[in-house]
Amino acid sequence: QEEAQAIDQELFTDYKFSVDQLMELAGLSCATAIAKAYPPSSFTTSEPTVLVVCGPGNNGGDGLVCARHLKMFGYLPTVYYPKRPSKPLFEALTTQCEKMDIPFLPEFPTEAAFIDELYGLVVDAIFGFSFKGGVREPFGSILSTLERVTVPIASIDIPSGWDVEKGKADGLQPDMLISLTAPKKAATHFAGRYHFLGGRFVPPALQDKYALNLPAYPGTDCVLQLT
Amino acid sequence: SRVLQAFPLPSLPRKQPTVLVVCGPAQNGAIGLVCARHLRIFDYEPTIFYPKRSPDPLFRDFTTQCEKMDIPFLSYLPTEVQLINDAYNAVVDAVLGAEAEGGEGREPCAAILATLKHIRIPIVSLDVPSGWDAESGGSGGISPDVLVSLAAPKECARRFLGRQHFVAGRFLPYDVQKKFELNPPEYPGTECVVAL
Repeated sequence: QEEAQAIDQELFTDYKFSVDQLMELAGLSCATAIAKAYPPSSFTTSEPTVLVVCGPGNNGGDGLVCARHLKMFGYLPTVYYPKRPSKPLFEALTTQCEKMDIPFLPEFPTEAAFIDELYGLVVDAIFGFSFKGGVREPFGSILSTLERVTVPIASIDIPSGWDVEKGKADGLQPDMLISLTAPKKAATHFAGRYHFLGGRFVPPALQDKYALNLPAYPGTDCVLQLT
Repeated sequence: SRVLQAFPLPSLPRKQPTVLVVCGPAQNGAIGLVCARHLRIFDYEPTIFYPKRSPDPLFRDFTTQCEKMDIPFLSYLPTEVQLINDAYNAVVDAVLGAEAEGGEGREPCAAILATLKHIRIPIVSLDVPSGWDAESGGSGGISPDVLVSLAAPKECARRFLGRQHFVAGRFLPYDVQKKFELNPPEYPGTECVVAL
């Protein structure tokens, strides 16, 4: 977790990347990976509907970007975004989604069965690699519901609720994990079908410095399928 | 925030992947900087010529990102075109975009364009071939091999005679597309570039 935070720090402080830039590339990777693993034709629902659950921090921001690109790729995303930071970046990302007719749910579906009926896929953009400590409401109840959902769940960076290094055996078991920048330790506990790498923006010098040993991305793709 | 990505399709030879990216003083130049950075991530060897730097903080950060990625910045553009032909496989023309008004007459753009007119290696122009009028096109200006129209082709693209025309910048919401009657082509799958 510290290494991931250190890399982020260098990207922002030394390389002068803006959060906007990297979040856009991260969110785009997530949408791209999802589109590769779950093409619209593979959905059991009549329309390729996707529920994107966004948490209170940057992982949520990644989710908003992802939702917007999913819409551009022909999916029908719906967002649930209960705790919104009052920062211009998140407000702008929300506006971009709203202006693209992406609905924002006023409340979270109370039953896992409702989610299964309405959506073919759930994107878990609740907590990311900075997650520490306990899960505050409303996310505790949300995660309990998601743990009972049967449609596939795609988690952004870390399955939400997992310890960033040790995982969580009785927690969320997503079908897909999109690791951003590099897989985190928790990824060793990932048991789902699809593991993608995204966030193709780490300069070669940083990759060397932190000995990331990332496999090569194919061509100009912004995602790499690891499993 | 203007986080555009322009990915010219890698139809360039891969064995010596050197590319010269010539960046003008405004937004088109900034897009060139972003493009250079991604080319570096794609394992090309870009070199940038960016003589007149924008004071815009966002664009200054783009410059820092390139510098920190060890992308060299030339201090001058050789007027001897053979030097350019020999050193690089292609030139990305990010000098002037659709916003330029008579910009091509001002230095250093005029000198750059005069040199680019004579090079033999392919030129990839971003959005508008620099020096062309965005609507009526150019005569006697540069003749790019590849044009990457951003968001939607500009009027002058009708006069483009090069080998490949791409549309890139897959970010226009549907209501904007409809409002301006843009009818952009359909992007295949998750691609952010489509060949016309």
